[in-house]
Formats: sequence, structure tokens, C-alpha cells
Amino acid sequence: MEIVVCVRPVPEAETRLRVAPNGQTLDADGVKFVLAGYDESAVEQALLLKEAVAGSTVHVVACGPAPRTEEVLRASLALGCDRATWVEAPAEFAADSIRAAGAIAAVVRSPLPDLLLCGKQGGDDESGLFSGALGEHLGLPDLNYVTDLRWDAGTSRFRFQRATEAGAERWEAPAPLVVGLQQAWNDPRTAKLPNILKSRKATVAKVHADPSVPPGAGQPEKFELPAPRTGAKLIEYKTPEEAAQKLVRILREEAKVLP
Amino acid sequence: MPDFSLTPEQESLRDLARKFARTEMAPHAAECDRAARFPDEIYRKAYDLGLMNLNVPAEYGGSGLALFEQCLIVEELAYACGGMTTSVIANCLALEPIILGGSPEQKERFLKPFCAQYQFASFCLTEPSGGSDAGALRTLARREGDQYVLNGEKCFITNAPHASLYTVFATVDPSLRHRGITAFVVPRSTPGVTPGKDEEKMGHRASSTSTVRFEDVRVPVRDRLGADGEGFALAMRTLDQTRTPIGALATGIAQAALDHAAAYSLKRHSFGKPISEHQAIQIRLANMVQAVHAARLLTWHAAWAIDRGQRGTLESSIAKCFASDSALQVADEAIQTFGGYGYMKEYPVEKLLRDAKLTQIYEGANEIQRSVMARELLRAYA
Amino acid sequence: MTVLVVAERTGGRLAAASLDAIAVGISLAGTTAAVVGFAAGPGARESASDLGQYGLARVLVADDPSLEGAPPCAGAASVAAAADRVGADTILIGGTTYGRDLVARLAVKWKASAANGVTEVTPADGALRIRRPVFGGRATETRTLAGPRRVLSVRPHAFPPPPSAPASPTVEPLARPEDPAPLLGPKRTGVEATAAGLGPSLGDASIVVSGGRGVRTAENFHLVEELAAALGAAVGASRAVTDAGWRPGSFQVGQTGRSVSPQLYIAVGISGAIQHLVGMVSSRVIVAINSDASAPIFRVADYGIVGDLFQIVPALTAEIRRVRSA
Repeated sequence: MEIVVCVRPVPEAETRLRVAPNGQTLDADGVKFVLAGYDESAVEQALLLKEAVAGSTVHVVACGPAPRTEEVLRASLALGCDRATWVEAPAEFAADSIRAAGAIAAVVRSPLPDLLLCGKQGGDDESGLFSGALGEHLGLPDLNYVTDLRWDAGTSRFRFQRATEAGAERWEAPAPLVVGLQQAWNDPRTAKLPNILKSRKATVAKVHADPSVPPGAGQPEKFELPAPRTGAKLIEYKTPEEAAQKLVRILREEAKVLP
Repeated sequence: MPDFSLTPEQESLRDLARKFARTEMAPHAAECDRAARFPDEIYRKAYDLGLMNLNVPAEYGGSGLALFEQCLIVEELAYACGGMTTSVIANCLALEPIILGGSPEQKERFLKPFCAQYQFASFCLTEPSGGSDAGALRTLARREGDQYVLNGEKCFITNAPHASLYTVFATVDPSLRHRGITAFVVPRSTPGVTPGKDEEKMGHRASSTSTVRFEDVRVPVRDRLGADGEGFALAMRTLDQTRTPIGALATGIAQAALDHAAAYSLKRHSFGKPISEHQAIQIRLANMVQAVHAARLLTWHAAWAIDRGQRGTLESSIAKCFASDSALQVADEAIQTFGGYGYMKEYPVEKLLRDAKLTQIYEGANEIQRSVMARELLRAYA
Repeated sequence: MTVLVVAERTGGRLAAASLDAIAVGISLAGTTAAVVGFAAGPGARESASDLGQYGLARVLVADDPSLEGAPPCAGAASVAAAADRVGADTILIGGTTYGRDLVARLAVKWKASAANGVTEVTPADGALRIRRPVFGGRATETRTLAGPRRVLSVRPHAFPPPPSAPASPTVEPLARPEDPAPLLGPKRTGVEATAAGLGPSLGDASIVVSGGRGVRTAENFHLVEELAAALGAAVGASRAVTDAGWRPGSFQVGQTGRSVSPQLYIAVGISGAIQHLVGMVSSRVIVAINSDASAPIFRVADYGIVGDLFQIVPALTAEIRRVRSA
């Protein structure tokens, strides 16, 4: 099975967010970029399928600028992906998930793989636009919010679940297919030290993103951080009953979140 | 032009160690310290990730890292738990004599099968009668045909109760002092090898330390490292390699102490404001950050010098001595910053002081480091 | 400006998220006359009359049975055709898993500027200016969607529901355009309502009550569930709870679980690791109940009770029942 997994560099979770001097975007200066948690789940899923289906290969693809994009590709190689392609594009280009999907679609279109995986949404902008846009660009169906993806060789179908408002949906689908992965249903592996060393020396194929791919997610105008929360207003009480009464009164009359 | 920035490879190695330290080690550090528990499951994971035999060349199944990269990893691990780090890196110390002094055949025979599995090795130099005066060791290696017969006792041996392999320093003739010391590789399964019971320690309680007794232990000549009398030089060359990572270990403890103290100072209020706004606390934090920063740079410098092929005796002694003294100082200041809470086991900083203390003592007590420094220094003026 | 609002059905009625989309549509277009409804799949005709309850005068319906059990992407062509039929420049969809996916497909298919999960939309010189939380609610971005076409999903609970204005809309059938065959390949074979099936689901609920490590055991978790039941809330959990196996992973709120943004989030015995905070910090009002006054959860909460949850939570449940029955 030929598997493509699309990843994207995002600021690591502990990053203290700052606004760029132009006021429009996150200030990426000094920020450490890593594989998003959602993407780690996608890479893990790709590797699990590779291990389950003999003769599979996993091709990891990312669109974005140096050096962060190359770094997440190498991190994916260290985890066990077989080859990597870097679709080089400026940060503003890659930040538009629809545009990035178009640029990546051009690279993976022929020959079409059996499965294209990605995280359910960007770990930064949470746009949730990538998998659908990639599917549409390639003329393939896409399913997002997927967990527990397996290949059923007997029926030549993928079987998986989707976490939706209705509950856990069960699905089956033939290849080729685009899938966005819900994070955390699998436990992503950690790259081993020797594989990290190997990944540093591995080849990362580089192509330039087609600049004619149109944007789709609009123009960033402003990036704002919320005013720091001042901390909870603590309810003073003598008995648990008093605490409960005070809280309910506040939630009804002050916060107006209870009828 | 010296360059203090890390390469992408170095960053990814450090990230691996950081992730392992914070997700696997740190959550269990307090519990292992309290119960003096040797967390086998954590060490097994460290082995699986390639964090255990850092110095063994890749061709023999180790990670094959230069000293600088080893130091990056050790600092990250020690940030989470000094004791666990001691046990994780003890194989490096135990195997270094084989790496430095073993023949290709011995490396093939010992290192390869050893590294292919999760297991521990221990470096057996120190004896009950004295640690720093290695030339005075008493464990005897009597030659009988193509065998040596070892008799004696070693003490304060890291991981000894769990080890499957020991590198042992013994003398073929006590009257020869240094020139009689000879190194051997002794599998635990050899009859007459008996590790003692786990010592109850002040710190590094997730690590394990005991004596090892050798009673009529028969070691074939082919398991001797180098020739008779070459053991002392081998031990010293080994410690030249492994001293610098102790500087990194101490730096990790010191950084943890500084981080705890700084974060606490912003949270804790007295006299109507966070204590971080009191100048006394600011001055203390400033002193702490200087010590941590200097410890790290001295450690990096020593590792860099040795990786460039220099012997680095002076540099590594400075790094080990300064970083371990700094760790004790910074841990002490962290406790003072926490006040009464710092003295309580419920808070993380008193453990750092207990863990820091050992770094001044093991792998060459700081008194020895200072005498080495003086000797190296004065040599230039003599 | 002409807006097409895509209706979604759940549990035999219009999804709450669709009401958000209607509300935004009416406020953008300035009049219900410029808001056209679209409903597809089973129950499309019922949706059409439901849309009428909010004053929509025109609804396009594609009640194609083949869409039952088909993936969201299979419906994109119908939505685009409907938008073209009515000359819409803006498509609005509720911010559900279905809606978000449809937005992504339409962005490419209908050549529109797109955004998911918007919390504010305002016209700006012929374009639309949208705001949406990013980084798990730790920041907000404002973007301009220029160009002649826009497709948006609306973050659940971000807008007050549209006023009731019953009307009888004209219903126009729309033949579903041919989709490329592969889009009908995936089939839904079943649905298991998760534990949240007893109450509202995590993503949809306007109130969420979550329990954490402070609850101590799986058995004690019923305290959290009883409070949720009294409030008509969905039940969530911190990672400590799902890791310990006290509740399944589907309950988890946080970076590795679900992100929620209800009107009210009550954190019971949750210390507030960053991992958890990113999944709930964009909730409108946050209440924390925890015995440790220095727990980080109190820094993001609006209201806090420092105390023993085993006493506070039952008292709170009783008080809410009392108020509700009064």
C-alpha cells in the first residue's frame, strides 16, 4: 500500500504566543516548530498500516518554509517514514491550508497513492480545511475526525470510525481515500536515537510550490491575544450548601449562563 | 570562530532526551526518591530509545555519540531526576574501559552482545578503604596459568545489584601501587561474584548502589583489558571521558532548581507583592542564573575540547568541579527561596539539594578535581 | 448580498449549529429575504419547514436518498449548485464536523474564500471580515475574505439564536448534480451513540461538566455525571481520567481530545494542565472546583470554589435540582 502522510510544522505546545510587529500574525521569531500532535497521530497511523500491510511505503509530505518544514519531515523520517518531500513555500503561502493542499496535491497526484493521511486540523490555526481541500483537489473522497483506521484485505476496504456529534460512526471505504485523523486514539511512538541520527543524513526531496495555486483562506488582518484572565473570582462560604447557592445565583444573575 | 549554537542534529537529540525526561522520568521522580525504587520500566524505555549506551560506537550496538552530544542528553535527563540519570549513564562509565582499552576481539565479544539487550554494567574501582587514592586499592588479581584469581571488595558501585557485567580494577602486586593495577571484564555469572545489598542513600535514590565481593573469582587472561599494570592509566583515561557528563548532570539539577525558584518567586507573595519583586530574591536569582550558565558553558567547552581530540583533563575537571559546586549552591538557594516549603518533602527542591550533593563526591571527589587542576595549572609554570 | 444557509439535521430536528448559521446569515444579509435555505438528504423537507420558522422565504431541497450514509464531501456539489441557482455570494454552515468538512470541499469546488468556526462576521468593503479563535483559544485571528464568494462555518454557541418569525417558505427541489463517482465510495455502516448519547454531545453542548484526577476513582465519577445530568450538560474528562481508564477516551477534553467552547464549563477536580486548558479555555464562562487554591485552573476560570469536591459537587447538584424544579 502506498501511503502519503501530510504534516505541518506548528509552534510547540508550550510556546508563549506573541504578536508579530505587523500585528497580523503570530510572531514566529525564536519559536520552536514541531510536528503537530494531530500530525503525530497521522504519522503513527501511517506506520501502523505499513506494519500491518506488507510491502507498504510511507511518503511524508509538507509544504512550508525553511528550516521548520524540513525539520518536521526529518522528524517524520526518524519515526519510520520511508521518504520525504518538501514542497517549499513561504510561510504565508503554507499558512493558507487550502493553498497548501493545492500545492501538495500537485506533487502527489501521479501516481495517486492508496491513502492520504493528515491531522484533523492544523495544530495552530485549527482551520480544518486541509483534508477536504486536498480531497477536492484530487477528486477523492475525504473523511475527517477519523479514529481506528484499518485495512481489511479480504474486502479491499478501509474500515474506520469517525468521532462526530452523533457519536462514533463506523465507516468503510475503498482506496484511494483522504483521511483526517482525530488525535489521541493511538499513542504515537517516540523516535529512537539511532533513527534520529539516520534521519539527519536521509535525503529530503525538495520541490517548489506552484505559485499559481490560488489562495483560499483569506488574508490575515490581525492576530490578537486575549487580555490575561485575572484569575477566578473565588466564592467565600462556610458550608458546601452556601457555596452551591452562591455559585448558582452568580451563574444565573451575573454570568447569565443558567436559565 | 567558536559557535555556541546547536546543530539541527544536536537539537533533535536534546529534544528526544527532553521529551523522555519530562514525560517518562519526571512524573515518577518524587515517588522513586521517596521509596528508593529502582524504576526498571523507565530504564528499559531509556534503553529502547537508545539513551543508555551513549558512548559505545554504533558498530558495537551503542549510540556512538561524541561527548558534546552525550552532555546535551545527560543535562536534560538530570533536569527530571539526577538519580535516574546516574543509573541510565552508568553503563557509559562501565563500558568506557572496554571502548578505550579493549582489543577489537574483546569489543566484539563484550560490547556487541551487551548492547543488544537491556542490561546494566558497573564500573568497579572504589574500595571500602579508599576511593580517591585509587593507587592504594587492595583487590588482588593472582595469576594462575591462563587465569587470574580475584579476591577483594568494591564499594559504592552504581547499579551493582542489577548489573550483568563488571569492569574491575585489581592489583597484580600491591607493592607496585599504580603500576600493579590491572583491568578485567567480569560477567556477573562468574562464580564468586556477589553484589551486596542496596545502600540506603541521601540522594540519587532511584539509582542503586552496593558493594561487590570477589571471592576466588577466576577470570581468563583473554578478559584482561590491556596488559598487567595498565589498569590505572586506563581508569584515569576513562574518568577523563566520563567526568564531563557529570558536569552536565549537575547542570541539569541546577537548572531545575533555578526554574523552580524563579517560577515560585512569581507566584509567592509577601509584603503585598510577589517575592520576585523583592531585591533580595532578585539578587539570589541573579546569582543562581550565573552559576547555571557558567556550569553549562564550562561543560560544553570541556566536551568540545575532548571531542577535538584534546585530553581535556584540566577542562573536564573544571567543568565537573564547578558544575557540581554550583548545583549544590543553586539547590540550596532554591530551598531558601521557597522558605519553609522548600524544606518540605512535598516540594521538589529539597530532593535537588540531596541529589546535587553526590555530584561533588562521585567520579572523582572535588578535592581530587582541584588537585588535578592545580597540577595541570602549575605544570605550565614549572 | 445573498446568503445560502445549509441546514443540517440531527435527532429529527434542525441542528443547533444550523441555527447559528441562520442567525449569522440574517444579520449579514440584513433581511431574511436575502437568505435562502438549503437542505439535503433524509428529512430535507422537514428541515425546509423548520427553516421557515426563522423567516426564510425560500428553501432549496435535494432529498436524494443516496446521500444517506454518504460522506459529507458527497453533498458539496449540491450545495454549490444551490448557491449558483440562487446567485448566492456567501454560504453559511453550522460548525459541526459535517459543516467544517463541507466548507473545505466548497472552498475548492466553488472557488471561494473559506473559514471554519468563525465567532464574528462583519462586511468590510465588499469583503467579509471574520474572527475566529486559534491555538486552542489562546489567540484570535481576524482575516479578510475577499473575492466574490465566501463559504463559512460558524462556531457553535458563538451567536444568539435567530428570532422566531414563522413563515411558509417556497420549497424548490434541486436535482443533485453528478458527483465524481469515487465520492460515493465511502459508506457509513453504523453509529454508536457515545456515552454522551444520554445527554448532549461534548461538541454540541452549551454546558460541559468535566472531571479530573481529583475525583480519585472511577466510581466517584458519578458525582460529575449527576451534576451534568442536573444541568442537562455533556460530560467531559481530563486526560488523567481517560488515561486511568475511568472513562473512555471519547470523554477527553484537551489537546489530545476534543476542544469545546460551551457557554458554561465546569471543571471538577481538574488542576488545569496546559494540555487540558487548550481544549476548553475558549468556553464563555469557566467555573473551577478544586481543593488546591494554587491549581492553574483558577487562573483561567471566571469563578472558583476552593474546597472538597466530594462535599461541594453534591451540594451543587442538589441546588441546581432545587432551582430547576422551583
